[in-house]
Amino acid sequence: MDTQWPRFEVFKQDAPNQPYQNVGTVHASDGEMALLNARDVYGRRPNCHSLWVAPERAILKVTAEELGNAQIQQKIAEARMLASSELLQNYYVFQKVSQKRTMTFVNYVGGVQAASPRQALALALDRFSQAEVWVWWICPAEVVAASEPGVEDSWFAPALEKVYRQQSYYGKVTRKRRDERLQIAQQMSQPQAQTKNEVSK
Amino acid sequence: MIATLNTTQILNDWLLATADDQLILAHRDSEWTGHAPILEEDIALANIAQDELGHATLWYNLLMQLKSENEDYPDRLVYQREANQWRNVQLVELPKGDWAFTMLRQYFMDAYEHVLMSHLEKSQHQNIADIAAKIHREELYHYKHSSAWVKRLALGTDESYQRMQAALNQQWPYIGQLFALAPGEASLVEAGIIPDPAILQNDWQKLVLPLLSTGQLDLPEVSNRFSSRAEHSLHLNQLLNDLQKVFRLDPEADW
Repeated sequence: MDTQWPRFEVFKQDAPNQPYQNVGTVHASDGEMALLNARDVYGRRPNCHSLWVAPERAILKVTAEELGNAQIQQKIAEARMLASSELLQNYYVFQKVSQKRTMTFVNYVGGVQAASPRQALALALDRFSQAEVWVWWICPAEVVAASEPGVEDSWFAPALEKVYRQQSYYGKVTRKRRDERLQIAQQMSQPQAQTKNEVSK
Repeated sequence: MIATLNTTQILNDWLLATADDQLILAHRDSEWTGHAPILEEDIALANIAQDELGHATLWYNLLMQLKSENEDYPDRLVYQREANQWRNVQLVELPKGDWAFTMLRQYFMDAYEHVLMSHLEKSQHQNIADIAAKIHREELYHYKHSSAWVKRLALGTDESYQRMQAALNQQWPYIGQLFALAPGEASLVEAGIIPDPAILQNDWQKLVLPLLSTGQLDLPEVSNRFSSRAEHSLHLNQLLNDLQKVFRLDPEADW
């Protein structure tokens, strides 16, 4: 039995004009807790301006390979026809457009209004297709919990001063310390090495 | 006795008490590192413990500066004092208990820090006002985190409710000590350096009581323990034993 809390995808925006990027997941009992957890897990280092979280199970995820499948193409074609203007919902569209290392994020690209997730995907394919899209994510806007505007100062800004949370901070310290320790270790091991040689003779 | 205390001494004592509250709370929080109910909370609480430790450091450093002490002063205060020399409230030294106990205490202290900092930001003492502004922005996040937990545990299952109520029963008698005026501190209030504890307590209750009531938690009918901040439970000895163990093995060691 899965005793974990539901999984939420986390999207981080580094600066006001940057796209929201999927940075990973958190487990949480609900959206508000997921947002708090996301802040601690993904926003504790510098460069976070805003966060979104969305329950993983609410997101329609389709790969480029799956889009080539005739059955799936058929379903999308059917969904496109099922337009019902009274039941339109807002959907967020996300794409992964690169396989290059460090650029594999699933980014927010825009929104569509549709009657179902599949219909949203059909519209997104019309509107946001580009040379290479490896993965499409479609998420109903209403399930996305966002950090409130104005919390940056309390939620994210303090991380800027906390350089001790960054790997590089310890890299510098340990390299210097390591050299010092190596020196000490060498000095200490020299007489011992001699003793060993004598014994081996 | 009061007549022999001058304002500088009183201010130093107040700073020490304020810093000690944070340091001991940080240590109790840090005891969950590696043991929290889920990974995300482990990271969150370790993070918060680090923040509280940072707040303690800001106050210890100001004390060091005001007393023209050497740079190792905060370390000496933390690693070389016996239990009876600490000035934290007893609430923060109580063992970490279960998750409900830790979250409720953190909530009470976050609410306390939130109202205290919003007053101290306007302190007539510029150094204190500057530090308070810095701490306050972080406390807004801490408050959001711990209040979310208190609400969910209180309104969760029967078990989580009972655990939260038990934590409240145990902690409530210790709350009064947060708002007790130490000998001579009235002069700091008059000088506009620190807020009037009665106002502080009122602000605190305005935040806390509605949340406890939302969670249908009953305030226990108990009298407050108005003890001096120099008095401690044996729990503090045990905590310091842990905290100072490595330092005491080799006080001269260079880290």
